[in-house]
Amino acid sequence: MMIELKNVTKEFKVGTHDKITALKNVNIHIKKGEVVLLKGPSGSGKSTILSLIAALNKPTSGEVIVDGKRVSKMADNFTSLFRREHIGFIFQKFNLIPTLSAKENVIVPLIPSNPDQEKLNNRLRELFGQFSIKSKMNVIVKNLSGGEQQRVAIARALINNPRIIIADEPTANLDEKLSLEFIKIMRNLKNSNSSIVIASHDPLFFNLDFIDRQIDIHNGAII
Amino acid sequence: MKNKFNFLLLDFAISSIFRRGSKNIFIFFVFTLLIFLLSSVLFISNSIKSELDTTLNALPDITVQRLQAGRAINIPTSRINKLLAIDGVKAVIPRVWGYYYFANAGVNFSVVGIDKFDDQYKDLYAKLCDKFDFDKLQDKKSMIVGKGVQKILKSNFYNGYFNFIKPDGSLEKLTIAGVFSDDTKLESNDVILLPMEKARDIFGMSKNEAVDFVIKVPNPVEIPNIAKKIRLLYPDCRVITKEDLSISYQNIFDYKSGLFLALFIISAFTFFMIIYDKASGISSDEKKEIGILKAVGWTIDDVLKEKFYEAFVISFISFITALSLAIFYVYFLNAPLLKNIFIGYSSLKPEFDLPFAFDFQTFAIIFFLTVPIYIAATIIPSWKTASLNADEVMR
Amino acid sequence: MLLTPEIITILTLDFIFAFFGLIAFIISINIVRKWNLNSTTPTQYKLEKQSFLVATIIKYIFIIKLPLFLFFIFTADKLSDIITGAMCAAGVVSSVSFGTSMFVYKILNLYLFGFWLVLNHYDLKKENQPYTRYKFMLYVLGFFLLSIEIYYDISFFTSLDVSKLVSCCGTIFSAASSSSISFIFSINKIYFVYLFYISFTFVLLSYLFKNSIAIFVSNFIYIFIAIISLIMFFGTYIYQLPTHHCPFCLLQKNYYYIGYILYVALYAGTFYGISGAIMSKLEHKPQKFYYNISIIFDIIYALIVSAYPIVYFLRNGVWL
Repeated sequence: MMIELKNVTKEFKVGTHDKITALKNVNIHIKKGEVVLLKGPSGSGKSTILSLIAALNKPTSGEVIVDGKRVSKMADNFTSLFRREHIGFIFQKFNLIPTLSAKENVIVPLIPSNPDQEKLNNRLRELFGQFSIKSKMNVIVKNLSGGEQQRVAIARALINNPRIIIADEPTANLDEKLSLEFIKIMRNLKNSNSSIVIASHDPLFFNLDFIDRQIDIHNGAII
Repeated sequence: MKNKFNFLLLDFAISSIFRRGSKNIFIFFVFTLLIFLLSSVLFISNSIKSELDTTLNALPDITVQRLQAGRAINIPTSRINKLLAIDGVKAVIPRVWGYYYFANAGVNFSVVGIDKFDDQYKDLYAKLCDKFDFDKLQDKKSMIVGKGVQKILKSNFYNGYFNFIKPDGSLEKLTIAGVFSDDTKLESNDVILLPMEKARDIFGMSKNEAVDFVIKVPNPVEIPNIAKKIRLLYPDCRVITKEDLSISYQNIFDYKSGLFLALFIISAFTFFMIIYDKASGISSDEKKEIGILKAVGWTIDDVLKEKFYEAFVISFISFITALSLAIFYVYFLNAPLLKNIFIGYSSLKPEFDLPFAFDFQTFAIIFFLTVPIYIAATIIPSWKTASLNADEVMR
Repeated sequence: MLLTPEIITILTLDFIFAFFGLIAFIISINIVRKWNLNSTTPTQYKLEKQSFLVATIIKYIFIIKLPLFLFFIFTADKLSDIITGAMCAAGVVSSVSFGTSMFVYKILNLYLFGFWLVLNHYDLKKENQPYTRYKFMLYVLGFFLLSIEIYYDISFFTSLDVSKLVSCCGTIFSAASSSSISFIFSINKIYFVYLFYISFTFVLLSYLFKNSIAIFVSNFIYIFIAIISLIMFFGTYIYQLPTHHCPFCLLQKNYYYIGYILYVALYAGTFYGISGAIMSKLEHKPQKFYYNISIIFDIIYALIVSAYPIVYFLRNGVWL
C-alpha cells in the first residue's frame, strides 16, 4: 500500500467558536502505481486530504501512512525531507516563484540536497525536452504564458522522480486546450509507476480511461 | 557527511537578495556607513598612535622640571654638575624652548633653542645641526623653521624673515635660513629652531637658566632608580620618565577611541533594531515563497541556512566596501573632518599625513563589532520566517 | 577599568551572547519539561519549531566564539604592553585571582558548545530524534557555564589595573613560583617527552582499533599531556631558550604565531576524537569520519612540536 489514511479527522481553528471540521473519519487506501481522482465541490475537503498526504498539515486525529512512513507523527523537519524524496506536488495556482527563471524554479526542490551539477543539468534537459519548453529555460517565469507556467510547475514536481504525484485542481486556471494538454501529460505519467492523486471538480477528468478509481468527497466525508 | 559547499544555495541566496532589492539596498547602505565610520575612526587613532610612538621613542629618558607653586619655572644651569654626578647618567642637556604666540595668525609656534656643543636630545636636531651651522645662524640672525611655520608666515606676508617681539617690546628680526620636514610631522610641523642665545633673548631669560633638563640614561632599567635619586636631590623638581609619558599617552588614545566606541555601540544597537525590524517585516510574497520552498522539500534548517547566506553575503560585501572606502578616506584623503576629533593639542592645526598603520587587530575589532551584530539581528526574524507553515502554499 | 576598543568589542559580544543565550535557555527548559514527539498538540509543534531557534543560536554563539577566543588571547597579549610587568598574556591573565579558571571555562565551553552541535546534527538525522531531550539538558548546563564565563570576562576587564605590578611569565612558569603548577618544574623534563610520546602512541593505537572508550580517554589525556609537555619541553625549543616555559608567548609575532596553529590543531584533534567517541558509543557504531579528522589534527600537532627540537638538534648538534 502506498498511501493510507486511517480514520482521519481534521479540524481547523480548534478551540475557537468558528471551529471548522474539514474531514470526518476519512479512510483512503491507494496502491502503488494507482491513479486516483478525488471528486467533489470546492470546500469539500479534497485539498485537505492532499495536504495531509504530502504532510503539509497534520490530522487532528487518525493516521496518515505514506510509503510505510507515519507522516502524521513526523516532526516538521522530516516532513520536508519526506516531501523532497517522495512527493511531487502540482499546485492549484502553479505556485512558482515569479521572479525566478523557469530553470531556477524547477531546481528549487533539489537545492538543499546539493546535487551534482552535471546530473542536474541532464535531468533538466530531459524534463524541459519532455514538455517542449527547452527554449524557455532561462525566461523569468512571470513572463511565460499560462500553459508554459503550468509545464514548468509539472517539471518542478517531477524533478525528484517522486513516487507520488499530487495535483490540486490542476486545471482550475487553464482553458480547455491546456487542460486537455495536462490530461495528456498525466496519462503519460501513469506508466512511470508513480501513484497519482488528482483532486478536481473539473468534469474533463470524469471517466477518463487512465484513472483507476474515483473517490467522491462531500462535506469532509467519502460518499 | 557531505562537506561540499552548496553553491546552488548560495546562488539562490544571492538572487534572493536582488529580488528584494530595495530592502536590501537600504540595509547595505546603513551597514556600510556604520562600518565605514568605525573603521575610519580606528584607522585614524591607529595612525596617530603609531605617529606618537615614533615621537615617544625619540623622547628623552628623563625630563626634569622645576616647580614653584605648582607651576614650572626656569631651572638654574648650575644644577647640571650635581645631576651628572649620579651614577648611570650619561648626559644632562639644558633645554631652552617655549611657545611664541603669533597674534596675526592666531597660532603658537614652538621655539626651540639649539646649542651645537651640547648633545642633542632629538635625532632630528642632531641631523639639523650637521646640516646647518648654528654659529653662523647666530651671526646672521637667522633661524630654521618647520614646513607649517613657513606656510603660515608666507600667508602673512613674511617672506623669508620674521619679527619677534621681545618681552621688552623691541623687535628681533630673524631671517629663515632653512626649512625642514620630517616623518614625525605631528610634532615638528610648528617648530622654529634658533641658536640657544637667540632663544633666551626672545624669551627674556637670563644666561644661566634653562626651561628644563633632559637626562640621558643608557640603561633603561636604571631609569626609575635615577628618577628617584633626582627627586631626593631636588625636592622642588618634577621628574618625568619616558615610560610615564608613554603610558599616559596610550591611555588617552585608548580612552578617546573607547569613548567613540561607546557611542558606536549605541548606534550599532540602533542598527540592530533597524535590521530586526526590516527583517521581521515579511511581505505576503515572501511568505508565499517560503511556503513554496517548504512545500517542495526545504527543511527549516535549509531555509535558515539560506537566510544566513543572505545575511553573510550582505555583511561581507558591506564589510569589504566599507573597509576599502575607509582606507581611501583615511590614507588617501587624509580623513577630512573626522581627524579633528583626535587632534586637539596643537593650535597650529598641523597638517600632517596619516601614516599607513593597519594591523590584524584593527581588522578583527572592526569585524567582530559589525558582522556578528548584523547576523545576530537576523537570527530571530530568519527563524520566524523559516518556521512558517508549509501549508501557507495551499491558501 | 580599561576602555580599550578590544575590551569593548569582547564585552559587546558577551552581551549579545548573554541575551541570545538566555532566550535559548528559556526555550530549552520548556523543551526538557514538555517535549513529547508523539503528541500532536500545538505546544509540541511550537516546541519543535523553537528547537531550531535554539540550535541556530548555539551555532551562532559557537561560530563566533571560536575566533573570539583567539582574539581574547590576542587582546590579553596586547594588554601586556600597558600593564606594568607583564610581558605576554600570561602575566595579564594571572593579574587576577581567577585568571586560570577563566581560561578553563573558556576552553571547556568551546568543547561543550561544539559537542552540542555534533549531538544536534545526529539528533536531526533520525526521525525519532533520539537525543532531543539530552541535547537541551546539555544546553541548560552549557548556559550556566557560559554565564560564568561572561561573568569572568566582565570582572577580568573591570579589575585590570595599569598601575598594579604583575608578574611576567618567567616567574609564573618556574619552580620558584608559588603557583599550582610550579611543582612540576622540579621534575626532569625528559619525562615529559616520554609522557607525550606515550600519550600520542595511545592516541594512534586507539585510532587503529577504533575503540570508542580508548579514543575518548586517549584524546582526553592528550589535551593535558600536550599542554604540559609544551610548557615543559617543546616550548623551550620554540623559544630556543631552556628557561622560557610560557604557553602564551608562542602566540606572539616573534614566533610566527605558531601557537595559534598548535592550539587550533590540538583543539580540532581532541574535539573530533572526544565527540566522535561519545557519538560512537551512543550510535553503537564507530564514527569514522570524526576519527579520521581527529587523528589528522592530532598527528599535525605532534609533528609540529616534534619538528622544533629536531630542527634545533640538526642545526646546533646539541639538545637544549
